[in-house]
Parts: sequence; structure tokens; C-alpha cells
Amino acid sequence: MTASRPRQANHVLRRAPTWVYIIVSALIVLPPVAWIVSTSLKVEKDTIQFPPQWVPDPITFGNYTGLFTPTNIRFFVNSLLYAGGSIALALAICIPAAYVATRYRSRRMEALMTGILVFSMVPAIVVFIALYSMFVKTALINTYPMLIVVYTAIICGQTILFLRNFIENIPLEIEEAAAIDGCSRRQILWRIVIPLIRPGIAAVAIFIFVFVWNDFLVGTVLATTEDMKTVQNGIVRYITTGFGNFWGLFAAFIVVAFVPVLATFVAFQRWFIAGLTSGGVKG
Amino acid sequence: MSNDHTAARGLARETLAGAGETPPTRRGAPTARRGRGDRQVWLYVIPVSAVFLFVFVGPLIYTAWTALHETTYYQIGEFSGLNSFVKLFSDPDLRKSIGTTLVFSLGALVIALPAGLLSAIVLNDISRFKRTVRSLFLLTWLMSQATAGTIWVWFLNPNFGPATAITTSLGFGPTDVFTTPATALLAVTLITAWWSYPQAMLLFLGALQTVPEELRESLRVDGGGIWHGFVHITLPYLRNTIVSVVVVLLMLYVQMVTIILVTTRGGPLAATETLSMRVFNQTFNEFDLSGASATAILLFAVNIVLTLVAIRFRRKETL
Repeated sequence: MTASRPRQANHVLRRAPTWVYIIVSALIVLPPVAWIVSTSLKVEKDTIQFPPQWVPDPITFGNYTGLFTPTNIRFFVNSLLYAGGSIALALAICIPAAYVATRYRSRRMEALMTGILVFSMVPAIVVFIALYSMFVKTALINTYPMLIVVYTAIICGQTILFLRNFIENIPLEIEEAAAIDGCSRRQILWRIVIPLIRPGIAAVAIFIFVFVWNDFLVGTVLATTEDMKTVQNGIVRYITTGFGNFWGLFAAFIVVAFVPVLATFVAFQRWFIAGLTSGGVKG
Repeated sequence: MSNDHTAARGLARETLAGAGETPPTRRGAPTARRGRGDRQVWLYVIPVSAVFLFVFVGPLIYTAWTALHETTYYQIGEFSGLNSFVKLFSDPDLRKSIGTTLVFSLGALVIALPAGLLSAIVLNDISRFKRTVRSLFLLTWLMSQATAGTIWVWFLNPNFGPATAITTSLGFGPTDVFTTPATALLAVTLITAWWSYPQAMLLFLGALQTVPEELRESLRVDGGGIWHGFVHITLPYLRNTIVSVVVVLLMLYVQMVTIILVTTRGGPLAATETLSMRVFNQTFNEFDLSGASATAILLFAVNIVLTLVAIRFRRKETL
């Protein structure tokens, strides 16, 4: 009894720096976020009031309902199409590649995989000059398939690596048994490997979704007309081409654009973190 | 998230996973299906190779080709040899651009690396409110780069932003950071660090979770303090992870375009024009395709060096 009190105090003291750090982080991370949420709920004249008010009064949802313009909806639809298309295409081409790269290792296969990895690290901006000038000349610019292919290529290296880690964890015996039972390679992949790596596929799909949804540069460079732009372009559009007092709408747009990512994070937190770290860092 | 750091993160994974990899023989193909004539295997990698040829290999060759020619707008003209490179290296702006890239990258690194490490250690240490704290630490990074940049533009707005309200009440005047060169570079660097430190945190967190329990135990028995434990156990254990994180972050910063583009577009007076931003501006504002290609090749070379460092450290890994 007597011993426990100093110990407890000691414990609290030991914890103190940790919580100080957390509070300081919160003070650095949260203000701009709170400010955006606050702005999005203000009436137009309050957004440019100075000194600024942190708590909107009166609260209005007018900025959110004001977002429903055809242009804005198009941005969201486009981003969904790009994300969906990239998920489908990336999985379709990466699962087979990851499978054979894991199970049929040869020197040449490893060389190919290293090549893919090295190329996927080329700065996007380096290839964008060429892609842009090539696409402009061939009318491939501003087409859904082209942007989906570019998005897919950018995330492929990572997707393959990630899937390989999952496939490696499947006991070889299962596949061997299936082979003895007369399964072809394609059947093994389709009936055994894919069902077993479903969590990995889910994590990759989440990762690709967030990546495409959050990407700004591809939409900026390779979609030149307004009707092909993405959500992120929509955000920046307010600042670059906006006139008048657009801050309320701008803030509401940011909040709405962040919701899908946040929802994915909350709903699939475990897979989300897995997608970001696992396969991962072994020391 | 952006394309830039995707690739970099992939590298981290590969880099760091290297140590745990088992030799091919153990995980090799089912012996019955392994044979020299088994060409069908390559069918499985054709689609992904085709996409890579189309999006990376082809454009890289095209970029090199463009750099060797004169261009007017997007038309490739006559062969000009290494002219555009000579022009690039004799351009006084290049030195400035490289300097900006260094200040920007190293500045963001110096902030994001310790912040990421501390956050990971804190997160690994606490048991209460763990999910909340993790969400807090990850919040900035869940945002897109465009969001991170633009919300700071609004927060720092010299006329209506709360930052101005604070600095004005302290007697410093409005936070007009994006209009003077030095403060613009500082602001962009800080915003980038703010956005990117969770990435370092995630990598560190993964590594911290593998610190063997015996190490912690022995520390507890020895009665060493937190600092002692950090310096003598955690840091040495994380040595290789630190190198990987440094490389990953540097790659991310060297190719950062979005945050700079949405805040300053490289200005004012080209103060925030890093090499990547310069490639962007040369291509889409000055329409100097040949010059942009030459700069891009230089950027590519820098990237190759970083990649090689990463691969080298993967091979050397001893822990």
C-alpha cells in the first residue's frame, strides 16, 4: 500500500512527456483542420470577418448544398471512375504477375521484378512531360482508359510487392496438393491463391482507392478539360480561378472530398494500416 | 497520397523486407512444374510489363530523345546534341534551383524524421486512447497533398486567416508568408513536413513492433531511464530503418510537386522552385520542352542515386 503510491506518482511522471508530446502534436495538426470545418459552416459574410471567429454563428449548411453543381458532381464521378478503373486494372494485371513472381522464381523473373520496382520509382513528373506531349499529339489525352492506365502503372510496383508478401505466406503444400489433383496453374491461381489472399486484395484495393482519390498531379497534367478533372483539381480550382468570396464553398468542398478517405480509414482501419505498413518493415 | 511517395513507400517495403526474405530454393516453384520449357509463366507478366513499357520506359526514352533535339512548343525540331544540357548547366538558375531543392528536402527531412520517430515511439508506448492518438498522428497524411497545401493557404491568409489574427495581436503584422521569397520557402517546407511526417512514423512503427521483448526486459531489469533506453537500445536497433526512412523521405521531397504547385507555383521570384517544380514550370508555363527534358533527366539521375543507396542498404542489412 505504501509502496504503490510513489510508484503511481512515478508512473504519472513517466507518462507526462508522452502526453505533452501528444498535446503539442494536436496543437500543430488540428488548427487548420478546425478552421476549414468552421469556415465550411459559416454564412458568406462571416468567412471573411476579421478578427476571425472560430465558432460559426449562425451555423449554415448552405455551403454544402451549394456544392451540388454539375461541374462538382462531375469531379466526384470522374475520381470514382478513375479509382474504380485503376483498382480493377491493377488487380487484373498485378495478381498474376505477383503470383508467378513468387512461385516461379528464376533469375530473369527477379530481374524483371527489380526492373519494375526501379521504374516505379522514377519521379512521375519526369515521365509526365513525355506522356503529355505524346498524348496531346495522339488524341489520347482526356480519355478515361489513358488516365486509368497511368494511375495503374504508378501503383503497380507497390501492388505487386504487397501481394507477393501475401502469396509467400500461403503454404506451398496446398498448391502442390491441388497440382497433384490435376489443377492447372490458372485454376490454382483462381481457385486457391486468390481466395486465400482476399485480405491482401482488400488492403491493396483500399490503398489504390485512396491514392487515386488523393492524387492531384495526374489529373492536372493529363486531363486538360474541365469535364475530365478530378476531385483534387476541384479543390484547387477554387483558389486558382475563383473570384468573389468562395471560401465557404471551398472549405465545404474540402470536407466533402475528405469524407470518402476518412470513411474508408474508419471502416477498414486494420486493413488500412496493414496496407500501409505490412509486408513491411522487418527491422 | 501522391504518386511520388507511393513508389518511395514501395521501395521502403522492398528495402526493409529484404532481411526477412527466404532463399528462393525454399519458396521455389512446385518442383513438378518447374522446367526450362515452362514459358507460359511469362504470359502472366506480359500485361504488367506492357503497362510499364507504355507509361515509364517509353516516355523516358522519349524524354531523352526530346532533350537531344530542339523544340518549339510541343513540336520536336532538329537534332541539337547535348545543347540543352550545356544550356542547363550554364544556367545560373540551375544552381539556385538545386539550392532550393536541398534546403527544401533537408529542411523537411530534419523536421519529419524526428517527428516521425517520436510519434512512433509515443504510439508504441501508450495503451490508453491508442486509436485516437493514432488517428490524430495520421490525420495530416490522410489528406491529399492538395488539401494540405490549400488549407494552409487559407489558414495563413494575410487578410482573414486566424494565423494573421494571432500574429497581429502579438504585434508582428499579417502572415503574408507566400509573397516574400524566404518565408515562402520556409512555409512550403514546413507544410511538406507537416503533411509527410506520418509516413516516417508508419515505417518506424513497423520496425518498433519488432523490437524483441527481451531487449525491453533487460532494459527494465537494468533500470535504465527512458533516454538511456532510447540511445542504447532503440536507436541502434532502428539504424537501418532510419537510413531507409531518410531515403524514402528524400525521394518524396525531391519529387514533390503538388504542395508547391498549390501554394506558390514555384514563386515568388522562383524562391520555391525546386528541380521538380522547375520541370513542371518549364513544360507547362514556358513551353520549353527541350529544356524541361534536360532538367528531367537530371532529376532522374538524382533519383537513380537515391534508389541505388536504398538498394545498397538493403543488401548490407545485418540486423
